[in-house]
Amino acid sequence: MKRRDFIRNSSLASSVLFVPNFLKAFESSQLKVDGNKKLVILQLSGGNDGLNTLVQFNNDIYFKNRGTIGQQKNQLLSVSDELGLHESLKDFKTLYDEGLVSVINDVGYPNPSRSHFRATDIWQTASSSNEFLKAGWIGRYLDTVSKSQLGAIEVDDTLSLLMKGEHINGIATKDAKLFFKTTQDPYFGAVLNNYKDAHLSEHNLGYLYKTVIDAKSSAKYIYEKTKLYDSKAEYPQNSFGKQLKTISEFISSGLETQLYYASLGGFDTHANQVNSQKRLLEVFSTGIHTFINDLKATGALKDTVVLVFSEFGRRLKQNAANGTDHGAANLVFLLGDKLKKPGMYNAPANLVDLDSNGDIKYKVDFRNIYASLLKDWLLTQPDAILNGKFESLNLV
Amino acid sequence: MKKEDILHVYQRAAFGMTPSKYKKEENRSRIEVVQDLFAASDKIEKLKVETPELDEFLENYSERNDRKKLRHLIQESRSKTIEFNSLWLDRMATSDAAFRERMTLFWATHFVVRSRNIIFYQKFNNTLRENALGNFRKLLLVVTQESAMLDYLNNQQNKKGSPNENFARELMELFTLGEATLYKEADIKESARAFTGWGHTFNGHFVNRKKLHDDDEKTFLGKTGNFDGEAIVDIILEQPECAYFICKKIYQYFVNDTINEAHIAEMVKVFYVNYDIKELMKFVFLSDWFYNQENLGSKIKSPIDLLVGLKKVVPVSFNNDKQLVYVERLLGQLLIEPPNVAGWPKGRGWIDANTMMVRLKLPSVLLKNGVIAFDVKGEFEDSFEEFNKQSNLNRKLNVTVDWNQFTKNFNLLTYQDITDLLIRCPINNGTKEFLKNLEQVDKQEYCIQLMSLPEYQLS
Repeated sequence: MKRRDFIRNSSLASSVLFVPNFLKAFESSQLKVDGNKKLVILQLSGGNDGLNTLVQFNNDIYFKNRGTIGQQKNQLLSVSDELGLHESLKDFKTLYDEGLVSVINDVGYPNPSRSHFRATDIWQTASSSNEFLKAGWIGRYLDTVSKSQLGAIEVDDTLSLLMKGEHINGIATKDAKLFFKTTQDPYFGAVLNNYKDAHLSEHNLGYLYKTVIDAKSSAKYIYEKTKLYDSKAEYPQNSFGKQLKTISEFISSGLETQLYYASLGGFDTHANQVNSQKRLLEVFSTGIHTFINDLKATGALKDTVVLVFSEFGRRLKQNAANGTDHGAANLVFLLGDKLKKPGMYNAPANLVDLDSNGDIKYKVDFRNIYASLLKDWLLTQPDAILNGKFESLNLV
Repeated sequence: MKKEDILHVYQRAAFGMTPSKYKKEENRSRIEVVQDLFAASDKIEKLKVETPELDEFLENYSERNDRKKLRHLIQESRSKTIEFNSLWLDRMATSDAAFRERMTLFWATHFVVRSRNIIFYQKFNNTLRENALGNFRKLLLVVTQESAMLDYLNNQQNKKGSPNENFARELMELFTLGEATLYKEADIKESARAFTGWGHTFNGHFVNRKKLHDDDEKTFLGKTGNFDGEAIVDIILEQPECAYFICKKIYQYFVNDTINEAHIAEMVKVFYVNYDIKELMKFVFLSDWFYNQENLGSKIKSPIDLLVGLKKVVPVSFNNDKQLVYVERLLGQLLIEPPNVAGWPKGRGWIDANTMMVRLKLPSVLLKNGVIAFDVKGEFEDSFEEFNKQSNLNRKLNVTVDWNQFTKNFNLLTYQDITDLLIRCPINNGTKEFLKNLEQVDKQEYCIQLMSLPEYQLS
């Protein structure tokens, strides 16, 4: 090959993947996973205001603290005599009414962080608030259970801490074809084909070569496994809808990947919250509704659970800019048709007994939810993955 | 001094070497080379973006209650921070005082802060630069009294009667002693009281707010007295564990991710005497073991290392500061924003399938009008519309490449010279043969190819 060929094709090019035989052993397309359960994790990034998502419409304290942004009863979608879902959650409520949703209130942890970055790290690494972990809890699942980077896919182009293990990292891609093409650069192919060293990953150079080889083979596996399948469902035309469609296609085309992660951003509503949250929850609601029904239609829903969280909730008392500031405990949604306790898992937030910042106190540690999903859904021992003992909550 | 050793010490201490610099150091002894490296870093040149509007505001703060004005200034601060990010990267790649810049970067990975206030952030950055090769006690004290640090670790809120322990905890755990068994929870509580009252004024000057200081007796690491922050720092420095902690970190950053206790013990012996950073670094670079085979080309470059090194080979600058931020994010290291107080990953922690592909594509994307087909996540503060934007898909990077300068630097070098200069580890045999069999077109493209190899990721 001429040097110029590599230059000209530096972005997108395709060629037949050829990996020398002795390297085949290092390819990681063989997953070692028992069972075929899927877990989809969705983050409402920025801190969704749970108190306006599930509203206590008979509670005076709520309205006293939310003079201009409080949601009135007649706008809400009642789920009980006391509680109503935000008006944008119409599609989500049909799922709720069909028994496909569990709402877990007051989820958090001791000494909560109100920084987006730190709080996101805590949720993603399953750490305590004074602990700094370098690996995400899904990453540790890859290390100990999947033992392959194909065990977890983030539907995005950069990999979050959640997906990074001590030894194995997941894959980030939201376009299997593009990712595949990116790895098919003829120059890289030629370099890899010429690599002669059976001691991959013992030293750093070997590790780097192995990473490229793995990336190539994973990209190829994902692309080839999924290219013939197109979802029939009509997803909303926005990035969240596209991400969910991709996940659905990955799952329904028989990809062995068990764990998926995507995020929907924009929930940091410090100012003029009413309109922005209305739009965001609609994006969430229509997207998730299409997604669940799509999985139902392909028969994949019985093996799938969706976890929806935000890095923190928002303060009960609104601010002067018709918005809310960073808070603490928040609600979490689980979706699926194997839920043990669909509907309200526990009582709604206590608006009287607040912490010293005026925020909702946690009653359910988020790591107990993780433990339940690991033990009862993914059928693995949660202790090592969560770095501690957390009881299962009988959720799935 | 051997060629590979000169290149090794310059790689680790100064982000690499230009051909002319190598020419100058060739045939010199180890002592001469190291002395040169240090001498070039004697001068301290502050790094500064112009911020007239913000300076004016901080000086007078007459419009403090004007929300609209404040929002505008927050925006202004943000865009100045992004400008600072570019300026800092350029500085590392072009400064003669490259070793001081390397040490500044090291301390910025050690004393982690984030700040939305460019004035505070810039001041902090220059404090690191100024003290980067000075005395560690002095560095620790001035860092502790910087507005960016006081804000980041909440010492501004640390008051008599309601102490905030955040700073005291990180001071020991991350800055001086590590997660040791040396101190207990009670030591954190007591030392937090000693730092009560330390804060900063509106415009960022350190102030010791006497009324907020708890002057009562404290017991810290077995000693009792009416300690203030300075006394706590001194007690910490008396612990050999502190010298060990810093030496170990320097060893892992400059020598090898895998520690060698015997070598670190030698370093501690030098450092513990009076915590002189320059003496310690000199000792490291003059040690025989620094040039041991296992330490050559064995470290995985951080993304900033990679970018700075690339700029040293081919002078390239971003015409849009935001695009540099974008590239840094794709690579996994935004210079102005460490992920959390514990700092950036290191070693293999930088590498995943995605960052690896970006690393290999980076030279052709930057230097040959390639395309990066990756998006970057939005920010927490972004609105939905902003978050949803697809504009960074298939993004062409707007850069200026100074090929004339490159030609001036490289035209006298042979292909072998170029390989020696750019690649720090033995090239895999198969790859070497492959390179040999490629038609040799010109030096520009040869450099781009070398920099697109996994081998180039090692320093």
